[in-house]
Amino acid sequence: MMAIDDDMLMAFVDGELDEVSRARVERAVAEDSALQARLEQQQRLRDRLATHYGPTLEEAVPERFRAMLETNVVPFPAAAPRPARPLWQALTALAATLLLGLMVGRTLLAPAAGPFAVENGTMVASGALAEALETRLASAQPRDAATRIGVTFARNDGRPCRTFDSQAAAGIACRTGDRWQVMMTAAGAGPQGGDYRQAGSENLLVQQAAQEMMAGEAYDDAAERRARDSGWRSTAHRR
Amino acid sequence: MQAFERELLTLLPRLRRFARALARDAADADDLLQVALERALKARAQWAPGTRLDAWMMRILRNCWIDEVRSRARRARTFAPAEEGESVGVDTQHEVEAKAEMHAVDRAMASLSPEQREVIALVLVEGLAYKEAAELLDIPIGTLTSRLTRGRQALAQMLEAA
Repeated sequence: MMAIDDDMLMAFVDGELDEVSRARVERAVAEDSALQARLEQQQRLRDRLATHYGPTLEEAVPERFRAMLETNVVPFPAAAPRPARPLWQALTALAATLLLGLMVGRTLLAPAAGPFAVENGTMVASGALAEALETRLASAQPRDAATRIGVTFARNDGRPCRTFDSQAAAGIACRTGDRWQVMMTAAGAGPQGGDYRQAGSENLLVQQAAQEMMAGEAYDDAAERRARDSGWRSTAHRR
Repeated sequence: MQAFERELLTLLPRLRRFARALARDAADADDLLQVALERALKARAQWAPGTRLDAWMMRILRNCWIDEVRSRARRARTFAPAEEGESVGVDTQHEVEAKAEMHAVDRAMASLSPEQREVIALVLVEGLAYKEAAELLDIPIGTLTSRLTRGRQALAQMLEAA
């Protein structure tokens, strides 16, 4: 008979085995007292945890939690009706205007690559901004980076998005195909390098718009790294 | 109260138990639950009705806990004395007393790594299926089961010895 290893024993105790495997473990345990002792040890552990944490379920829930839920006046629909268009959409229009200015400026003045470009009628990040969005981790960026990455998060449609901030502009870009589509922009951080730019003071408009677009929570360091290392794949298919 | 709050209310006892399994003690657990509830109420628009509120809420609670664990680790690094090794790793008198008062199970759980502790809390305390727990933590099943195995071995060793 095949040996029953610890993993299988644990899966048995956790109720993760199918009928056939269950029966096999039961037979093996009946014939092998050492195995039975190991199984009992696993069951004791489960029981001990259940005995220790179980009574919490019977305790009265502190009043403050109940109060939090009961007084949770939903702020958006009631007190302040949300704008018909989400903030970031309104700002996309603004971004288009800004882009027009940038394009005119570029045509007239310098051929140098700016942070934005238009491809197939869509505004996308280019140059140093595209590079930063593509490769940089917020947790590991140089203090004096010209373009800073803020938060990374997934939109409702699963596309990864990132906020950025630089002297020229701040904003949000979301991954579309192999490009970073600029969803909104706002005024940049202004002159840098001095002491007066506080760490972490991201553009408020951008933050607010990011909150609105976000599905779930912003990525932590590990999730950000995973997203980058996976080539910024959309997470939609995993849901 | 709307459906969202009503359903959260019914989940509170379970969430408290989950918080107990993660946090150091009952007081820390309730603080953790409070932070998680605040975050959930702020983010309620992000919960899709029809999906499981318990899993959504447990994920938030777990993330709040991880934030706390990380910032505690940061604080510990920041305030560590310059003479490395002199008193690093030695508990203060207060911590020694606090540990002595802890229940054996709390003590054993506290000695696990955060990664082991959260899988033990989800599977052994909350009774989630492997698949559910792996999804909630966004890790592969294989990673989950190996953390579960190691966490269990450590717990069994400590509790059986006691």
